[in-house]
Amino acid sequence: MTKSPTITFPDMTRRGLGALPWIAAAGVLAYAFFVGGYLTTVMSFALIYVVFVTGLNVFMGYAGQVSFGHNAFAALSGYTSAYLTTSHGFAPLPAFGAGLALALSCALIVGYPTLRLKGHYLAMATLAIGLIVYEVAVEWTSVTQGYMGISGIPPIGIAGYEITSERGQLAFLTVIVALATLVSWRIRESRFGRALSAVAGSEDAARALGISASRYKLSAFLASAAFAALAGSLFVHVVGFVSPEVYGLHMVVLAFTMLYVGGIGTIAGPFVGAVIISLLPEMFRQFKDYQDLAYGAALILLLIYAPRGLSTISSLFRRAAAKKAVVS
Amino acid sequence: MDLSYLPQIALSGIGIGCIYGLIGIGFCVIYNASGIVNFAQGAFVMLGGMITHTMLHRYGVPMIASAAIAIAAVSLAGIVIERVVVRPLWNRNATMFVMILATLAAQIVIERSTLIVAGDQPRTLPAFTDLPPMMLGGLAVSYQFLWIVAASLATVAALALFFKTTLVGKAMRACAINREAAALQGIPVSRMLALSFALSAALGAIAGILITPTQYTAFNVGVPFAINGFIAAIVGGFGRPLGAFVGGIMLGLAQAIAIVVFGAGFKNVAALSVLLLFLFVRPSGIFGSAK
Amino acid sequence: MSLLELQNVTQRFGGLVAVDDVSATIAQGGVTAVIGPNGAGKTTLFNAISGFRTPSAGRVVFGGVDITGMAPERIAAIGLVRTFQLVQLFGELTAMENVKVGCHLHTRGDLLAAILRSPATRRSERQVEDDARKLLDFVGLTDVADVAASSLPYGQQRLLEIARALAAQPKLLLLDEPAAGLNSGETARLSATIREIAARGTTVLLIEHDMKLVMSTADRVIVLDFGRKIAEGTPDEVRDNPAVIAAYLGMPEGAA
Repeated sequence: MTKSPTITFPDMTRRGLGALPWIAAAGVLAYAFFVGGYLTTVMSFALIYVVFVTGLNVFMGYAGQVSFGHNAFAALSGYTSAYLTTSHGFAPLPAFGAGLALALSCALIVGYPTLRLKGHYLAMATLAIGLIVYEVAVEWTSVTQGYMGISGIPPIGIAGYEITSERGQLAFLTVIVALATLVSWRIRESRFGRALSAVAGSEDAARALGISASRYKLSAFLASAAFAALAGSLFVHVVGFVSPEVYGLHMVVLAFTMLYVGGIGTIAGPFVGAVIISLLPEMFRQFKDYQDLAYGAALILLLIYAPRGLSTISSLFRRAAAKKAVVS
Repeated sequence: MDLSYLPQIALSGIGIGCIYGLIGIGFCVIYNASGIVNFAQGAFVMLGGMITHTMLHRYGVPMIASAAIAIAAVSLAGIVIERVVVRPLWNRNATMFVMILATLAAQIVIERSTLIVAGDQPRTLPAFTDLPPMMLGGLAVSYQFLWIVAASLATVAALALFFKTTLVGKAMRACAINREAAALQGIPVSRMLALSFALSAALGAIAGILITPTQYTAFNVGVPFAINGFIAAIVGGFGRPLGAFVGGIMLGLAQAIAIVVFGAGFKNVAALSVLLLFLFVRPSGIFGSAK
Repeated sequence: MSLLELQNVTQRFGGLVAVDDVSATIAQGGVTAVIGPNGAGKTTLFNAISGFRTPSAGRVVFGGVDITGMAPERIAAIGLVRTFQLVQLFGELTAMENVKVGCHLHTRGDLLAAILRSPATRRSERQVEDDARKLLDFVGLTDVADVAASSLPYGQQRLLEIARALAAQPKLLLLDEPAAGLNSGETARLSATIREIAARGTTVLLIEHDMKLVMSTADRVIVLDFGRKIAEGTPDEVRDNPAVIAAYLGMPEGAA
């Protein structure tokens, strides 16, 4: 299409580089599948986080909004799944349906007034939503068993067939992650995704073109809450146990670190970031106490030195090419 | 529900409210100087109590000197956060969200470092004046309560005096009103940023030292304090230090009443709901228009 | 037939009256310019028309519909689209993607359509791609279609913003100082582009400081001073109007 060779050549380089993180992360996944054992467990966690971070990416990366409280939706759905399957004999799928419905209803109710806020007000309001759900999970012991948590949650199963082996779970989660990433990609390459980018770029300009900023922000919020709810329910079935700590503030910070490591606003970002951040502490097992410290420090360094994440390193080439094209 | 408790509960609410107020002022000081909301504010509160405890019990330093050392050390920590975390982002014109995330990460780094160095055991400080509470018409007033209220009021008064009379204080106020104009007037805006972090950290440390004798401190007490301080600042109309102090007392009272009505477990839920209510309905705080 | 009608539009900010009782009728077709010294209330008037501010008093009627105080996105949806004095592009998106966003109003499908991506959705995407390419071609930006909007030089950003607004297929296009920051060559080109837009049937209302552009482009001119309308007419009528000359006294020679 383009006449200028200064664009086409680096464009090919960019494609090649852009595929690298995908290939590396997929390689680790395949390795985990064949080796089995502990690495399989680690990768299962990573994949659950991919789902959660993919949702955050839609809301924050595409639509340019801020939420410190998506752990609330994971917790609502996760606890619903845990409670209904253990106390009321629900099958996992209908229990998840109920959890998703609850999470989306709550997202709808709090989303409307919350998304009218901007800046640190928005940040604080979303943080408060996450903390309220956490506190309720701690205090509402008759349903949640407080800090003790709910155990004995059945594994994922469809129509009477339960996936109990670790490899089976990993395969199932891989399919879910592939679907989630496909959805994220299709959102980005669509009229809906363009409207979100427009809202992220300039709300005024978006509105002047007939895009209702408030409506699209709410849609993105609900979509990302659905991802969070899915991740929350997957977690309880894979681990078989849930407690308030699962969905604490550290979940949010961990997810942000993954999102920034992988590259916010990119399609591969959540996958790459979640795999890297899940594997790193395993490579340094002896430093287990330092994990959260390392996440925090890594996040600060990333924000300062590589604010667009690792998987966007290739886009530096694009920018350089774009500048050259303009100058020439 | 026994309402005869109410005055006693209200009293403790005012005490904790003063603490929230001091933390809230800490938010305002940095916000006014830079437009940044420092989510590491709670770390200062935690460090204030922890360092005082360490000085007092491990090194046998007298209480007053321990407190002074802690306040100085925490102020230094504030400057370090400003230099290492905030300044590089500030120079790059990072977005507000990135700034919030970075300071929140700094909070976690400090919290986890403290866990590694000091362990997870909760610690407490002795009451400043070790006497049984005074009885005022059926109301037990502890000496620590008096210390909290008196020291908070003295801190607020000293701060007000600092902003009103000293050149540096006036320069900081000028930054709060209009940073560009202040810079044009030759005020070193970036030095004001460092100073605001030091000042804000000192306020947090004072709050932490005052409250620890009545509760305890541990590596993870920071975030709840920061959130309550933030709520105090919001209720007072963000960026108004006096408003934040009054907001803190109101929040302390509201929490105290929530404990009587709903039980102790839900006091945080109550406080967070107050926050959401204010953000949704009256983000400018109770004292009128937002800054 | 009148397309846009301003009836006693007033906008106050505290004690300041930025737009003072302005009435005007913009007919269907052609180019109308709103001129006036700095601070005359031109952009404030645009904000009141396009829904970004609700006027303190008066009414705005567009195509027979009272749009006073309506949300900007709803006003855009019935065919009134504006640009901004300070260019507001989606900087991270390419020029092409910016124009595609402009096609939002005359395409359909949200989250579900995005996920399912049916043949109809694909067809619509191809149509959007075609439309956007034609518009980029129209403003002469085909060569930079895949360049991020924020890396374009200022003159091209202005043209891109106009192309993006045209993608919304407006009945009335509001341009807020489209020539600001352009050199004389670019301005001449812009003038031709605006005439072409009008010739294709889109009514244009523009704010401009550049008198050469106004004189060569506009069919009618409305003059504001201190928030009031002080004159209206053809460019020649307005140029000779004593009130207008008085308002522009102190402006550089040849500016008015």
